[in-house]
Amino acid sequence: MLGGSAESVVNDQLKFQAKRTVVETQEYTLHVISLEDGTLIREYVTPGGKVFGVSWSGPTIPDLPQLLGSYNAEFQNAVHVKNGHRRAAGVHDSDLVVESSGRMRAFYGRAYLNSMLPSGVGQEIVK
Amino acid sequence: MSRRGRLACARGLVFALLMGLAACGGGGGSSSSGGNTTPPVVTTINNVQPVVVDSGPSLNGQPIGANDELFTTVTICVPGTSTCQSIDHVLVDTGSSGLRLLSGNIALTLPFVTDTTNNPIGNCVQFADTSYQWGPLVKVDVKLAGEVASSVPIQIAGAPNFAAVPTSCSAGGIPAQTLLQLGANGILGVGLFRQDCGPACASSSPPAIYFSCSATGCTPTSVALTGQLQNPVWMFPQDNNGLAIILPQVGPTGAVSVSGSMIFGIGTQSNNGLGSAQAQAADNTGNFTTTFNGVPYTTSYIDSGSSGFFILDSTTTGLPNCASSSDAAGFYCPTSPASFTAITSGRNPNGSGTTVSANIAFSIANGVSLIDSPNTAFNNLGGPAFDKVFDWGLPFFFGRTVFIGIESQTSAAGTGPYWAY
Repeated sequence: MLGGSAESVVNDQLKFQAKRTVVETQEYTLHVISLEDGTLIREYVTPGGKVFGVSWSGPTIPDLPQLLGSYNAEFQNAVHVKNGHRRAAGVHDSDLVVESSGRMRAFYGRAYLNSMLPSGVGQEIVK
Repeated sequence: MSRRGRLACARGLVFALLMGLAACGGGGGSSSSGGNTTPPVVTTINNVQPVVVDSGPSLNGQPIGANDELFTTVTICVPGTSTCQSIDHVLVDTGSSGLRLLSGNIALTLPFVTDTTNNPIGNCVQFADTSYQWGPLVKVDVKLAGEVASSVPIQIAGAPNFAAVPTSCSAGGIPAQTLLQLGANGILGVGLFRQDCGPACASSSPPAIYFSCSATGCTPTSVALTGQLQNPVWMFPQDNNGLAIILPQVGPTGAVSVSGSMIFGIGTQSNNGLGSAQAQAADNTGNFTTTFNGVPYTTSYIDSGSSGFFILDSTTTGLPNCASSSDAAGFYCPTSPASFTAITSGRNPNGSGTTVSANIAFSIANGVSLIDSPNTAFNNLGGPAFDKVFDWGLPFFFGRTVFIGIESQTSAAGTGPYWAY
């Protein structure tokens, strides 16, 4: 869950009834959660144990309230005032960035918190 | 050829309106085989469905004010009967598959589709902007031109006599199931795939798309491919391997409205041959590659349901975004039109192993100037998506014949999913 603890990643895995693999790098830990319907969720965790970024790709949109936590409301508020383009929506605040795009069978999205990016890690890591 | 089809169709429409029922091409009856030449086994059926880009359906006596939205009139019937109704201004969407109609327009009594435990099945579609449609699955006969798809599962969005939307479907988003919310009377998905969802919704751990709805609530359920929302085109008895969308070109300031055709079948009748069109396969998610400024973008698709070219972002294209306070928020606003060329490419769907590419020239003009004009059909309206996303929306279709080869269906071009233009 974006902004949550490392334990929230395990909670997401349970919620999505999915497999999870862990990739350690020097700057962060990447958790890859594979749902049975083919959706891939990636959660990026700081050395301090905070989820600074999440991304998703797959045939359907995963449960965003689960994945974005309290940031889902901010995302929703931002997208509801834009033009009716249903295949892409996002929020780019000074801290929160959410990008959601695609259509049935091919959805993509990512979200990150600028304030939580580990030193030496750029936002392009979250993909 | 298509012109003649349109005229014949227009006459049919007037007649249908007088009769107070179904649309263009007339109901059911296969038309004459026409002329003295002996056609192949297939009976000639009117396969030309009129489409229009205009200011959209009326709400309280006023057009809703659509821009770059492609509409058609769909006739639905209680399966196996002549009890039918026609619904105008249904959005023609090559980015999805399956028919979704707003409950507010439905005059027919249509029984719910039930699962093995006799619970009605609910269907949820979520869009990338987190808006959603929720409603029961019902079966209808779908009539387009002279073609009939029988007993097609469709969604009735916003049905009042059905279970409330599950939270896993709404997910904090807003509904798109009234005319005001959707801007259309429904969505006719005639994309690359036979079903809306496909294998993901038939998996044993299904996503929040299909639900079994009991008295105590709705839970996600697995639905076999044949039970899912179907692209009606592949369910026609003939002319079912794909379709073509044909729209005339418009000028740089657009047009008040544009009339065109949706022709069913690819190479199945004298009016739907591929001609000089080149076919490019899409991948199993419907994407292909577009190369822009030397960079290949693999998240690229052709989508009549997108009311503009939604490509990359302001940084990558060098185009300024329209002011968020303007009528054209979400579009690009260059001071003068900007011209580009991009290259689309995909595997040849004929199995030869070669790659087919096409150079596509396009331009993007000032979104505010276009949107604030009285015109509704633009070949140069565009906006940002995100870096990596290249969405060839409705502007792509003007001045082209675009063929949509449905998955696993074959034509002279090869096996779908593919595009040809």
